[in-house]
Amino acid sequence: MMLPFRSDRQTRVEAERCLQCYDAPCTAACPAQIDVPGFIAMIRSGNLTGAAETVKTANALANVCGKICPEEIFCQSVCTRSKQDTPIAIRELHFYATLHESRHGYSTPRFFSRNGRSVAVVGAGPAGLACAFELAKLGYQVDLFDRRLPGGVPRYSIPSFRLSEEELNCDITFLSRYFQFQKAVIDEVRFREIENSHDAVFIAVGLTMDKPLPIPGAQLQGVIPVLSFLESAREGADASAPGKRVIVVGGGNVSLDAAATAKRLGSDEVVLMYRRGEKEMRVWSGELKEARQQGVQIQFFTTPIEIFGRNRVQGVKCRRTRLSDERDATGRPLPLDVDGSEFDLEADAVIPAIGQVPGANFLRLFERTLQGYLKVNDSFATSRGHVFAGGDVVGGEGTIVQSVGHGKKAAHCIHRYLSGEMDP
Amino acid sequence: MNRGVTVFESPDIYPIKNLSYEFIGLEFENPFILAASPATDDLDMVRRAFSVGWAGAVLKTTSVEGTPVDLAYPMMTSFTDEGGKLFGMGNIDLISVHHVDRVEQNIKTLKKEFPGKVIAASIMAGKKDDWQYLVERLERAGVDLVECSFSCPQGNIGEHPGRMLAQSVLATETIARWVKEASKRVPISIKITPHVTDIVEIVQAVKRSGCDAVTASNSLQALMGVDIRSFVPYPQLDGKSTYSGLTGSAIKPITLRTIAEIARHVEIPILGTGGASTWGDAVEFMAVGAGAVEFCTLVMHRGFRVIEDLKSGMGHYLADMEFRSTLEIIGRALPNIISHDDLPRRSVRSHIDEATCIQCEVCYLACRDGGHGAIERMPGRIPRVNLDRCVGCGLCENVCPEGCISMRVIA
Repeated sequence: MMLPFRSDRQTRVEAERCLQCYDAPCTAACPAQIDVPGFIAMIRSGNLTGAAETVKTANALANVCGKICPEEIFCQSVCTRSKQDTPIAIRELHFYATLHESRHGYSTPRFFSRNGRSVAVVGAGPAGLACAFELAKLGYQVDLFDRRLPGGVPRYSIPSFRLSEEELNCDITFLSRYFQFQKAVIDEVRFREIENSHDAVFIAVGLTMDKPLPIPGAQLQGVIPVLSFLESAREGADASAPGKRVIVVGGGNVSLDAAATAKRLGSDEVVLMYRRGEKEMRVWSGELKEARQQGVQIQFFTTPIEIFGRNRVQGVKCRRTRLSDERDATGRPLPLDVDGSEFDLEADAVIPAIGQVPGANFLRLFERTLQGYLKVNDSFATSRGHVFAGGDVVGGEGTIVQSVGHGKKAAHCIHRYLSGEMDP
Repeated sequence: MNRGVTVFESPDIYPIKNLSYEFIGLEFENPFILAASPATDDLDMVRRAFSVGWAGAVLKTTSVEGTPVDLAYPMMTSFTDEGGKLFGMGNIDLISVHHVDRVEQNIKTLKKEFPGKVIAASIMAGKKDDWQYLVERLERAGVDLVECSFSCPQGNIGEHPGRMLAQSVLATETIARWVKEASKRVPISIKITPHVTDIVEIVQAVKRSGCDAVTASNSLQALMGVDIRSFVPYPQLDGKSTYSGLTGSAIKPITLRTIAEIARHVEIPILGTGGASTWGDAVEFMAVGAGAVEFCTLVMHRGFRVIEDLKSGMGHYLADMEFRSTLEIIGRALPNIISHDDLPRRSVRSHIDEATCIQCEVCYLACRDGGHGAIERMPGRIPRVNLDRCVGCGLCENVCPEGCISMRVIA
């Protein structure tokens, strides 16, 4: 994790490099549509509060994203300045502005007048929070439901070494005045009640169930679901190493987080196993670097075929893979097994992190995609009237800022729908 | 400031800060107005500026029918540092090519569409009748303020081409009286030049004329550079060139001094212009006596959208300073400007913060060859101040690229 600039002067120097493009590509590439040249101009002029306000106006999770947004795949990847030399460190400038605000006190928002209508938001992760905030700005009363505290992935899955609870709470505290929060498990009955008592509903329950490893031995003791592993690790003091020799299976950010966390918790050896190569990983380089620095070993082109052991995990039988010319739905080459390449790796814990699927049972009421996600149209409307959805539950594992973007856009779709400007 | 592919407008979440105040009998919604320039020569451009929050605009200078406006292109030259960062612009532009009828119509339209904005006109003429005719006509059109250009440094169209009206005390007073005489309601501001031996006697002449304000000041006469192979200066027009009017950050210190000098000696409202590029610059202009600030180069470089930061930055500044009104800034720095003779004499010495020093030794070199040889080289490239040799001139502090040198008072 890169720290913000060493000094205010360095920050100003970096901000001065910004070309202040018109119709800036960085803003277009930001799912939350932050006015990047606008807030950088404010850092330049010394108007740091204004810069923080500009960021927050666009992104309800300003502090969270300032800390951990993967700028290399969004704003910074399209920075015009990189055509001259190197891109502007946009996320770091964003972080600098939000850090200033959290240290010097938050600006008081204006009063949002109510329009007399209410929307229920189910799921208090990034998409739900962003949607709730945007709806509040538009005048709606928002009831927010979650089975746990507000925060979602940033609170329960992202390791605390990447995002502290304090940093998360900067955003949650700010946002909490814009909704009524209810901690509740939502089943079908409760969902119908919520549906009937609100003008519209937004579902953003995320992905709460781990995809099981479809191999023998996946039920053995010592096979730990990644989400509960990360959640208990976040809880802090009580968390202990999952084992001495840990194998994490997967090639996404969640698997990297799990591997780095296991290492931090004291596991002697942590191996991340991925069936494709580094190029095919869906991770940001900062996290990969961090995991490597922690001492995580990475076995590319390797897939587990069996977890063995008596009652408890003792090791994993693996096979080497190679990439074929065929591509999967994500456009990445499909891996093929290499015959006769089997080998065993000793381990006393295995953490499968091969993806998550929606878990909430009331989702049965809805049409789903082939992958099991909620089906929505371009306006985030589901198969049920008045009900919209966004975030990971419709798109699969994404980034926080993408969820924020969903939440914001969906709020405007809900607003257009309730104003009679749009069919469901 | 949403732009590009945004599909919806996200509502603002912060209250709009009140920056409004009264100045020269006019209501300013904020202290930021557009100076007479290409940015104010087109109705749609001014509309766009107003809709994003500019408090007013001085429409590009107009004159009487038949005044030749023979423009030459290209007219712009930039003044940059070695890295290409633009901190000044030169222009050989003249007054508006539009007929005064059109300027008059623009005023009427803008006044109707934007009743809360300050709509000003800039005029320039030769004969008494022409000056007075322009004032009367624009006043009838509903203009809020007339600015008289006594100082266009390039292509002056007065009776002595190349000479500015505001370089003569007599001409300034005479013509200022003419324009003031012609106005019934509208305040008149005389746009002066810093190209004079004594700015005070010029502004005293304006004051005697009864005019309401001065606009201080204008672009500075400059030669923007010379191509050292072809020996053609810039801007280059078929192998020839001429002097430009220099504007932008490069002239800010000169404008500040001009405003301060006027404010210290003449009791007259001042519209500050020439080199302000941030809300902080505007605060500085106002702190030395300006009542409002006009912008041109910043907008020509960065667009009307810069108003967002100007307003936001000013709003937060006022709150930080616990000022209730923008007016509280005006003149606040003036008591702190005194003559060199009266400056306190105290013993100061350079202090280098070793923790933040980046060991470039730029200070060492500057002090050795341009100061007093008071910085010594030490192992590890950490410079050390020899307190016996240091006189406290401050050169090192200003050349340090990391800002780790300060001047400390010694007992």
